[in-house]
Amino acid sequence: MVATVGQDNKLYQAKPGLKGEVSHFSNEQIGSKLMAMGVLPGSKIEYIRKAPFGGGCYVKVDNFLLGLRKAEAASIVLK
Amino acid sequence: MTKTFTVALLGNPNCGKSSLFNQLTGLRQKVGNFPGVTVDKKVGKLALDNKQQVSIIDFPGTYSFYPTSIDERIVVQSLSNPTDDNYPDAVVYVADVTKLEKHLLLLTQLRDLGLPLILGLNMSDVAEQEGLKVSTELLRKRLGVPVVLVSGRTGAGVDALKAVLREVMEKPGDYAATVPFFDMTEREKAVADAAKAIVPGANTYQGLLIAHHYEWLPFLTDAQRTLIKDIGQQYDFVSLRAQVDETMQRFDRFTPVVRSAMSAKPKEGRGITERLDEVLTHRIFGPVIFFGLMLLVFQAVFAWAGTPMEWIETFFTFAGDQAREILPAVWYTDLLTDGILAGLGGVLVFIPQIAILFLLIAILEEVGYMARAAFMFDQVMQSFGMNGRSIVALVSGGACAIPAIMSTRTIGNWKERLITILVTPFISCSARIPVYTVLVGFVVPPKTVLGIFNMQGLAFMGLYLLGIVSALGAAWVFKLILKTRERSFLMLELPEYRVPVARNVVLTVWEKVKSFVVEAGKIILGVSIVLWFLASYGPPGEMAAAEAEAMETAQALEMEEAEQDDLVASRKIEASFAGHIGKAIEPAIRPLGYDWKIGIALITSFAAREVFVGTMATIYSIGSADDEFTVRERMAQERNPLTGEPVYSMAASLSLLLFYVFAMQCMSTVAVVKRETKSWKWPAIQFAFMTGLAYLSALLAYQLLS
Repeated sequence: MVATVGQDNKLYQAKPGLKGEVSHFSNEQIGSKLMAMGVLPGSKIEYIRKAPFGGGCYVKVDNFLLGLRKAEAASIVLK
Repeated sequence: MTKTFTVALLGNPNCGKSSLFNQLTGLRQKVGNFPGVTVDKKVGKLALDNKQQVSIIDFPGTYSFYPTSIDERIVVQSLSNPTDDNYPDAVVYVADVTKLEKHLLLLTQLRDLGLPLILGLNMSDVAEQEGLKVSTELLRKRLGVPVVLVSGRTGAGVDALKAVLREVMEKPGDYAATVPFFDMTEREKAVADAAKAIVPGANTYQGLLIAHHYEWLPFLTDAQRTLIKDIGQQYDFVSLRAQVDETMQRFDRFTPVVRSAMSAKPKEGRGITERLDEVLTHRIFGPVIFFGLMLLVFQAVFAWAGTPMEWIETFFTFAGDQAREILPAVWYTDLLTDGILAGLGGVLVFIPQIAILFLLIAILEEVGYMARAAFMFDQVMQSFGMNGRSIVALVSGGACAIPAIMSTRTIGNWKERLITILVTPFISCSARIPVYTVLVGFVVPPKTVLGIFNMQGLAFMGLYLLGIVSALGAAWVFKLILKTRERSFLMLELPEYRVPVARNVVLTVWEKVKSFVVEAGKIILGVSIVLWFLASYGPPGEMAAAEAEAMETAQALEMEEAEQDDLVASRKIEASFAGHIGKAIEPAIRPLGYDWKIGIALITSFAAREVFVGTMATIYSIGSADDEFTVRERMAQERNPLTGEPVYSMAASLSLLLFYVFAMQCMSTVAVVKRETKSWKWPAIQFAFMTGLAYLSALLAYQLLS
């Protein structure tokens, strides 16, 4: 688990296994779409595993599962 | 009531909306299109006990009124304009009760439209299993809408939903919200009021939506767009910022409501889905399992489709023979047997393969596996300019490009979607199988290598791989050429694995097969009639002359009657319009190793590839026995009249195979691509590069090998 607090704590830089709480989104466009899907500031998020071919991230948000691209995961900033 | 009461069925993706729609309407559903776009519009009829007819529109799954794909745009387009043809009288909102906290955003937005609204809490069966309790009474009070627990899987609660729907029909006004859920800022209110004045009947929230989406909403004129743009600038209205704030406010308001209404029972540890995904989306096992599954799927298609396909062929041969016997031997009998029946048979014979492939894909989709496949291959697909969701289209393309291309509508990014549409026809579809079957034998012998592999089987697989490789290669080229500023997203929800509902699977297969029969059928049928005409008639006098000459030759050589008939038929086709066309293009195809007879088959194949076998049968006058093996035997005997060499040499046959792997020989696909891309530009480009590639590779193969 890599967990530093603040701006740099972006999800995709972390290793699978990281758990945390969403603080905000560094990209508004991605953030607005993630929010519509139920990923909100305050949501519990867990990075479960990397996708095959090193592409995306398999994450668990509160009680649902989500496949994200690197850039999408990168815009999620944790508390 | 003169107008039928229209109910819109709305909800987030994966909320089980389609299951509920199928529960409510069963087979009484029709698929049409929303005006101007090609998004499927499913409309079903529901008869309530008060004998009133309700028509239900199943809208595409949507997360919010801020859409990311054309599928979602259609919802905003229809609901922000009260004069829209699809503007409903009431809305049934479907939410997954096990994920209620994230499913209510759109509900609160719908509520602000001022439409009568019912909340259906779906998956009540799953909630029950998980011991989840929900107070519908509290939700009703705090959200201000009637709430019904339902299950699209088991059908529980569907009658209760119908009862509420009847009350809503009687007093629609009582069920529409009067106080908006969302408090607009002064700025938003000002912009919304100005925009609402432009569209007759719109309320304030609809005005706000119009102000957000004026750029693409089709019901606005250019003058109106400029006007709204100016208003927005005047008030310093920033759409994206406002969207985020609106979403936050709504969540902030309904989350406490949901929390108090649900018996919170936090689940600890990993569920079945997560444990399955440890293997199914594993970095190594995941893709391996995917390819294994695909191999099984295609294996099953070949293993199960053979027999029913034989039945269909036998039936049409029988029907043709019967017609010839009963009807007088005149032109319209020929038209019926060689034109219409042959054409119909050519379409219907593919139903078993297409139905089985889509059955298996629909099951994988229903189970929730296809979302995983899309997730796993997103990175790979991105490097070819496509999206993880493209994998569904590419796999379906193995059955038929038509429904495959239609399945790209879930891809939000236009460039990714366009590339997927353009390259899908490279994937070897079932129509290529008969052509491969006929020709593969001329290229490789039926020998067994390495003890277990059949050479011809390997060659078959090679042709499929060639299709896949060329699809990816072409996609890569398009990725470099096409430019877009539009952002692309994956953000794919991975639903829980569920046992598929048979009703949903069957209805999906039924729809896909129907779209194939209708879309491809009308074109193939039309073309086979034209073909019949071209092959049966020729320039005045020539046909009769050819027949007389052939009779003379036959008599001089003392031929038997059957031989004589064959000779007459093949001379006649040479003299027909088709023969003239074949000879006209011969100079162009000679370098590929083809003669004018193959030229005729090439031309007719542009209607649909599978016509090749039938055309060969006609040209070599094998009559009604047009199965692949009879045709192949006859082709093997064909000699070049000048050199005496076999026409179907290894080089020429390989060249022909390559041509069929690459060429865009399917009118129906061209028509569908035109419809999906809304211009002739893309199908024209697709046709040109596919056929160009076919020509070049065939030329190369023949010139190097002969």
